[in-house]
Amino acid sequence: MFLPFFYQLRDQGIPVSLKYVLEFYQALKKGLAPDLDRLFLLMRLIFVKKVEHFDVFEQAFAAYFFGTEGAEGTRFSRQEWENTLFRRWLEEEIGKGSLPDDALERLSLSELLQRFWEVALEQRGEHQGGATWVGTGGTSHFGHSGGDQEGIRVYGDSLYGSALKVIEGRRYVDYTASATLRAENLRQVLAALKHMAPAGPPTELDVDETIDQSCRNGGEIELVFRRELKDRIELMVLLDNGGASMRPYLDLVKLVFGLMRDQFKDLDYYYFHNCIYGCVYSDPQRLTPYPIYQMLRRDPETRVIIIGDANMAPAELMLSDGAMDYFSKVRVPGRDWLWQVRNYFGHSVWLNPIPRNRWPQESQTIYQIGEIFPMEDLTLAGIRRSVEWLNTGAPPRKASRQIAALRQAQG
Amino acid sequence: MQFHGTDKYYLNPELKEIVNIAMAMDKPLLVTGEAGTGKTQLAFQISRALDLTLEEARCKSTFKGEELCYVYDTVLRLNDSRFGTEESGRDVNNIWDYLNFGPIGRAFMSDERRVLLLDEIDKTDSDTQDNLLDVLEDGSFIIREINYKVKAKYMPVIVITSNAKRELSDPFLRRCYCHHIPFPDMEEMSRIVRLHYPEISAPLMDSALAIFYHLREQGFEKPPATAELLDWLGALQLDGVKPPLSPDTVPFLGTLLKRTQDLLHHKGVEREKP
Repeated sequence: MFLPFFYQLRDQGIPVSLKYVLEFYQALKKGLAPDLDRLFLLMRLIFVKKVEHFDVFEQAFAAYFFGTEGAEGTRFSRQEWENTLFRRWLEEEIGKGSLPDDALERLSLSELLQRFWEVALEQRGEHQGGATWVGTGGTSHFGHSGGDQEGIRVYGDSLYGSALKVIEGRRYVDYTASATLRAENLRQVLAALKHMAPAGPPTELDVDETIDQSCRNGGEIELVFRRELKDRIELMVLLDNGGASMRPYLDLVKLVFGLMRDQFKDLDYYYFHNCIYGCVYSDPQRLTPYPIYQMLRRDPETRVIIIGDANMAPAELMLSDGAMDYFSKVRVPGRDWLWQVRNYFGHSVWLNPIPRNRWPQESQTIYQIGEIFPMEDLTLAGIRRSVEWLNTGAPPRKASRQIAALRQAQG
Repeated sequence: MQFHGTDKYYLNPELKEIVNIAMAMDKPLLVTGEAGTGKTQLAFQISRALDLTLEEARCKSTFKGEELCYVYDTVLRLNDSRFGTEESGRDVNNIWDYLNFGPIGRAFMSDERRVLLLDEIDKTDSDTQDNLLDVLEDGSFIIREINYKVKAKYMPVIVITSNAKRELSDPFLRRCYCHHIPFPDMEEMSRIVRLHYPEISAPLMDSALAIFYHLREQGFEKPPATAELLDWLGALQLDGVKPPLSPDTVPFLGTLLKRTQDLLHHKGVEREKP
């Protein structure tokens, strides 16, 4: 009966393993899902392990069990509630005569729900064609005219109805992978960035070495300590903070930036305008230059994150005197500087605040810079992929290829 | 065994069900959520309500996982073997005298069911979490030095909390039931406040909560959370501030906003207003 739902979850990108399914049936046997709300909680606990899947799960659950169409982005209204399966079932039951007409007055809401639930569990899937679980065919809509019927809501004072209330609230929508960033979810992703190396004072007892040394020492105890493994990641952030083209994205970039500041101790940031020529600047006003040749003496293991919209006049990128600054004496095109940075720092990534699907329209230079740096947009998924890349070195897809694919898709 | 909350802790009905499901299925419950949503308190309250002893492990980034099960005191044994045990009652030939059990070890070896709290598991690195996986799943660990398997007599009620400082590994998540505690809404918050300040006057609370939620929506770097709200209300009451409060001149703003930038931002917002 539940199998189609599990497949639906898989289709929505929630990994459902056989183990979970077995676990779920075990829980059912234990009677942990006596009603729809507890079923909802139980399923969520068993199948959903990441907060970014919560919203997807809730929507899939609503679509399957409440039969709400267009799950994505729908908000549930009371109106929809009154057309839900419970009501339909109630009406059918009264129509068939298996519940007396005055059932509404005589039975409490929870008793009715319990009956509904018993019937629903007995159906065992012989009933439906579509994606919804309790059959939906044929029954006409019914209004909500009668006074006493108005009193019946699946919303109750007790736990009943909380599943839908939870779903309706869409509290987890901020955590979906495609959502734009908020402080909470971003911190989580950035936290994945790390690099372990021995560091700090030797405080950890090396037992093997201690015993070895003690024996050599004729039994006099000789304690040997070694240094602990510590997270030693060096991170450098280059930020495009100039120009009107970045202005719409400033808030977003500020957020990312602020969190990086929180997250890492060894973090340097530099600023540039549109593209890098010869130097970046260590102050936001871009007055104190930090030459690239100096930067290229740092540890090549340093992780480099460039945040910029990669949106500039093609000349700035390609021509040797393309630098925006009129007085700049640099005569090497921006593209070459970018290549130098890219070639030196193996772990580098370009984060673009422009949403991915707008890259093809936005600017030719996005494509060209995407050839140089692995590029991701500033969504949760994008940042996650870049962090993975900075950690392991498995490169994300090239922006140029992503753009080509998008162009094809958009005709 | 059913958990129903206690008089000092407001328990969301959803969370209550989740705790009971996790207990029935013998699964560790991983609770995430903003600071001040009562993650850690949950374990304390379960232990209080069900009258089970609590074993508490506050995780540190240096933890390897094993020390939560047991620590083998090599240095003491070396010392004893060199200088003798004298009156300490330890026997240098008996390794058990040199094994100290951590919270997990104690919970497993206890003769009754216990509550095990692993607080802020995200502070540990992913290797530690992986080490703990099998331990929590099977309810057993092996004392490597003597290859002795400690098996839980009663599977403890395991509550794990995480502040999402680091992302937890997928295999770890797979073995837990995960619940994200959303920030309480105004109605729930007023119940929580009442648990702490039963005598608070309704107008003061209403206007304070309105300002509190208004401040939370401003997108501050560190939005005020429950703990700040309670501090603030405490200060307001001590000072005898009378409602209504105006959002432009919040008394004791420092108890709510902790970061300089947020404070400046807040004042800036005021100035921009006509």
